[in-house]
Amino acid sequence: MIEVEELTKRYGTFTAVRSLSFTVRPGEVLGLVGPNGAGKTTTLRCMAGIIPSSEGRVRIAGHDLAAEPVAAKRSLAFFPDEPRLFEYLTVRQHLNFVARIYGVADYEALATPLLEELELAEKSDVLPGELSRGMKQKLVIACGLLHSPRVMFFDEPLTGLDPLGIRRMKDSIVRRARDGAAIVLSSHLLHLLEEVCTNVLILKKGDKVADGTLAQVVATFSNGEENVSLEEIFIRATGGSES
Amino acid sequence: MIGALLYLRLNSLVNLVAHRVRRLRQPKYFVGAAVAAAYFYIVLLRKPGVAAPPGVAVPGAGSDPRIAITLICAFLCLLALVRIAYAWISPPDKPGLRFSEAEIAFLFPAPVTRKALIHYRLLGTQIAILFTAVLMAFVFNRFGYLGGHRVQRAIGWWVILSTYDLHLSGTNLTLGSLRERSRHFLLWRLGAVAAIVLYVAAVFRFAIGPVEALLQGPGDFMKQVAGSPALHWLSLPFRIVFGPYAASGPGEFAGAMVPALLLLAVHYYWVSSTEARFEEGSIALAEKRAAIRAAAQRGEISGMGGTKPTARSDPFSLAPQGPPELAFLWKNLISVRSSLFNRRVVLLVLIVMVAMSMGPLVSLRTDTIGIDAFRKIVGVLSAMFAVYTLLVGPQLARQDLRNDLPNADILKTYPMEGWRLALGELLAPTAILTAVLWIELLGCAAAVDTGDGHALTSGVRATAVVCLALAAPLVCLLQLIVPNWIMVLMPGWYQASRSRAGGVEIFGQRLMFGVIQLLFALGVIVPAAGAVWLIIFSSQWLIGAGPAIALATLVVLPVLAGEAAFGLWWLGERFEKFDLSTESR
Repeated sequence: MIEVEELTKRYGTFTAVRSLSFTVRPGEVLGLVGPNGAGKTTTLRCMAGIIPSSEGRVRIAGHDLAAEPVAAKRSLAFFPDEPRLFEYLTVRQHLNFVARIYGVADYEALATPLLEELELAEKSDVLPGELSRGMKQKLVIACGLLHSPRVMFFDEPLTGLDPLGIRRMKDSIVRRARDGAAIVLSSHLLHLLEEVCTNVLILKKGDKVADGTLAQVVATFSNGEENVSLEEIFIRATGGSES
Repeated sequence: MIGALLYLRLNSLVNLVAHRVRRLRQPKYFVGAAVAAAYFYIVLLRKPGVAAPPGVAVPGAGSDPRIAITLICAFLCLLALVRIAYAWISPPDKPGLRFSEAEIAFLFPAPVTRKALIHYRLLGTQIAILFTAVLMAFVFNRFGYLGGHRVQRAIGWWVILSTYDLHLSGTNLTLGSLRERSRHFLLWRLGAVAAIVLYVAAVFRFAIGPVEALLQGPGDFMKQVAGSPALHWLSLPFRIVFGPYAASGPGEFAGAMVPALLLLAVHYYWVSSTEARFEEGSIALAEKRAAIRAAAQRGEISGMGGTKPTARSDPFSLAPQGPPELAFLWKNLISVRSSLFNRRVVLLVLIVMVAMSMGPLVSLRTDTIGIDAFRKIVGVLSAMFAVYTLLVGPQLARQDLRNDLPNADILKTYPMEGWRLALGELLAPTAILTAVLWIELLGCAAAVDTGDGHALTSGVRATAVVCLALAAPLVCLLQLIVPNWIMVLMPGWYQASRSRAGGVEIFGQRLMFGVIQLLFALGVIVPAAGAVWLIIFSSQWLIGAGPAIALATLVVLPVLAGEAAFGLWWLGERFEKFDLSTESR
């Protein structure tokens, strides 16, 4: 579903991501972790088609992102860490707009249960400026899910959510994966990885340090010790600092 | 206490200047400053070859500087009256004086008297007024035409601007006081507006004679003005304020300063003694200004109006399937209605229209100027506004990629080719500018003389209007592509120019972008206009003027469409490769 081959992204002489390769199959949730400046967000933005990669290839639902960007983008949804909304469109108008962009014929039938599930039904005529941050995040999710994407990218999905919102977001990610979506999420929150992710990819300074299921990564860095915490694994994998 | 406030003001000013100087190390500010410096040198300081020495008017017809000064003063008085009328028609809910959020946080809880706060605020305004006064003296005395010494003119401007500022502050505080204490607040406001309207109508009525004299030649204008006792008394308050500015020599200037300073003192007493609670209004005003600044920094154009966006109905029904470009037109039209057509803008436009139409209305009733003159005025104004729409309109109508810059990441995940996204984003401002141009074209067409024997028959005129109307959307689209190109090519520069940050370097950046826009317009419009002229000139002898215009349009339209298509394709390509994070590295 998501195939990344030798992905490299350079900004001038600085290499943000170097020769990254991995695959995420339907039903899998890949957790992208690493210290600040490891290249997590750059990787997500390259995979979502927001910025072009310098080298390498990304395939989304069988479509090469560089050669067939429109077909590839039809299958994906990107959820940024900060909710990006059009300040002058109401909740309902956001969904109408997104439906037209993706050509969702029966969007009203899809939008109504989605808004109810996300507790936005009563806010359908409200502008984003009048919504709390959590509600804005929910609207971003509603817009992203409207076209039933098979590939999803979440950048720090729990930022700014209250405890109930965090619980719902985790449940939502797991449910979408169970329904067959391939999901990549980037986060600093290690407990999120334990609860939600099937696979983990650790980055450091743009290089892949570890890749595999959570059990495989733990086995690689536990050095045979038992009951090593995920936090300890992360520190060992990344050397404990950004540099 | 005033010493502490003065310390705060002066140090803030010094630090601001130091900050502006330090940021000149960045090339975009340095280049901007260099361009601005060159502009100010050429426009304000360099001695033009034909300039007359200060105090000496340029000889020739219509060279009496007193006429120019009188007309400038009359125009400024009209503007001031429009602004004061607006204050009475639409007063703020709570009267406020202009303080920054930091000033409110430090000064309002401090043991400072109310009067000291007002003094502080007046002191702060004085810095801006002094700077403006000096600048205005340079601008208006550029060619020595108006005569008088620059220092005298600068002091004159200081008196005008200070009195205006105090009057507006006094009006706002009085309105706040009336709102708090009077049960007849609405009646007070209606009375004040009626008084202003009657005053303006009376001035127009008695100004007909001098205006007629001016239309026939400048000779009798000043005599007519001086010979009208009604005008003499009606204009007295304004003559006192404008006296120092309009004075022709040091003696007259000194004499005019006495009543002007007395009137200024009366205004000062009015402002400092009006008992109105300004604290809450000042806090609201400061929050509003902070929100405007934040909106400008985020690139949210609707927030820059200072009003919160409100939910609007759909401009048209958007079906879920069809060309996605229309979704952007739909979205951006909603934002236009949110940001442009707010109550304040509509009200100001109405007041200006009423003020502008009063002269012709009063004149028409007495049959002194007549419909022809009025039509000519409409024609000239329409032509001026059409040029303004083409050149400046693209900088004002920003409901396109520029407005959506903060959402660039989301836009790029949409399943659309770059050129289609660019087209969709540019549809709304193109539609707006085209509609405005069409109205202006009608205004121009109505003004063209089609009397007996005139070459421009009704048929030719109609053909020309239709052809120009057909070309208008493409020309507007091409003009709008330019600032969007600049944005994707130089986003760092572009953002700096959009923010409300001050400084001559920002002025220089805007000047550069304006010149680029102008050069592009010339590059697109002049060759097309040349081709049109050539085709009309060579074919009208055979097929007549109307068909020749139509033929020229048929030839030129595909060329313009091709240019627009290339521009959109290139803009889309650039946008697909565009990465704001690269610019900030």
